[in-house]
Amino acid sequence: MKAWHIRDIILVTILAIFMGVIFWVINPVYTLLAAALAPFGLQPLANEILLGVWVMAGPLAGFIIRIPGAATLGEFLGAVVEMFLGGIWGASTLISGAVQGLGAEIGFAAMRYKKYNWVTLVLTALTTTIVTFAWDLVRSGYSAYHFGFLILLFAVRFCSVFLFGGVLTKLITNLLARAHVLPNVK
Amino acid sequence: MNPSLKLALVILIALEVSFTQVWTVNVALIIISLILMFVGHVKWKRLLWLTVVPLFFASALVWSLALQGTTTHHFLIVIFTRMFVYVYMGGLFTQTTNPLTLTRSLEQNAKLPSKFAYGFLAAFNLMPKIQAEVATIKAAALMRGQVLHVWSPQLYFKVILAAMNWSDQLAAAMTSHGFVEGAPRTHAVTVALRARDWWLCGISLILVQVGLFIGLP
Repeated sequence: MKAWHIRDIILVTILAIFMGVIFWVINPVYTLLAAALAPFGLQPLANEILLGVWVMAGPLAGFIIRIPGAATLGEFLGAVVEMFLGGIWGASTLISGAVQGLGAEIGFAAMRYKKYNWVTLVLTALTTTIVTFAWDLVRSGYSAYHFGFLILLFAVRFCSVFLFGGVLTKLITNLLARAHVLPNVK
Repeated sequence: MNPSLKLALVILIALEVSFTQVWTVNVALIIISLILMFVGHVKWKRLLWLTVVPLFFASALVWSLALQGTTTHHFLIVIFTRMFVYVYMGGLFTQTTNPLTLTRSLEQNAKLPSKFAYGFLAAFNLMPKIQAEVATIKAAALMRGQVLHVWSPQLYFKVILAAMNWSDQLAAAMTSHGFVEGAPRTHAVTVALRARDWWLCGISLILVQVGLFIGLP
């Protein structure tokens, strides 16, 4: 199994910063969407719809760097970047980042960091959704919602994570594989 | 206070507050963070921003919980104040901590391997270049009539290629300047970890435990 070297550490950090910068752009979208949905009591849906974008750094870093811990580190550093760029959620951003990264990490670990294909990405999306949802049950008081609404939130979150963390990541890594810059990809 | 200990304290308290439902402790934490931010001369504009944004999100969340769920008033108050605890404590941390000092402290006090500490620093110093690169990629695509969105694989592809390039160059540059992974290092600037920091951290944690578990509402 590969160990961390200075190049990988710099790469994962730069990736996290890039993601942070790209995602900075969609923060206003989130606020607008939340504001539009809030009067109907549906504000959490805004979070669910866009969550996939925020958790993307995990699968992407895990897929590109392929060292145990890459997904967690990538997502966590993304959170650090967000915090110091002026994100307001502070310490809770760091915890969420670690939770999201761990969620993705479980998916990669389940494949023993050997297989990097569709199955891995679907699995990663699923574990990310479950882990982050469990965290929101506690943190944001989701446990108080009616069961039906919870199912809706979970489904929307999975779709979002699957589209961005799964489909988009796969499309990106396809491009990278064609450019022959990914490690051991046939 | 020592940055590493401060970070650990903030995260520990945020975690505890997430798993418990005592709104009086939340309010106490909010007041203490506010006072410390005043003492630390945090800008008014920043404070206002740190209040208005969570006010909207916390209200929207509480409103949504009330509409779509079965809750008690107590639970809603807990959730509402909890959001402010996150924001104010996070604000207190970022506004009073210098990222460079934090990294040095993590390396010296928290025994983070130096390859991580310097790897992070090297990358973080590229921040302005990275922001410029994203703008360049978008502009270059526009000149060819392509609009790159958040969901365009092309955007990420180019960004990742740039990232790979830079990390190769930076790593080579660090090696050529004599950086050896795992080699013992001396420090030009040392970050102190005083007994006072431990006391402050320990007493704060004990106070929070007392508040959380003596049966306050």
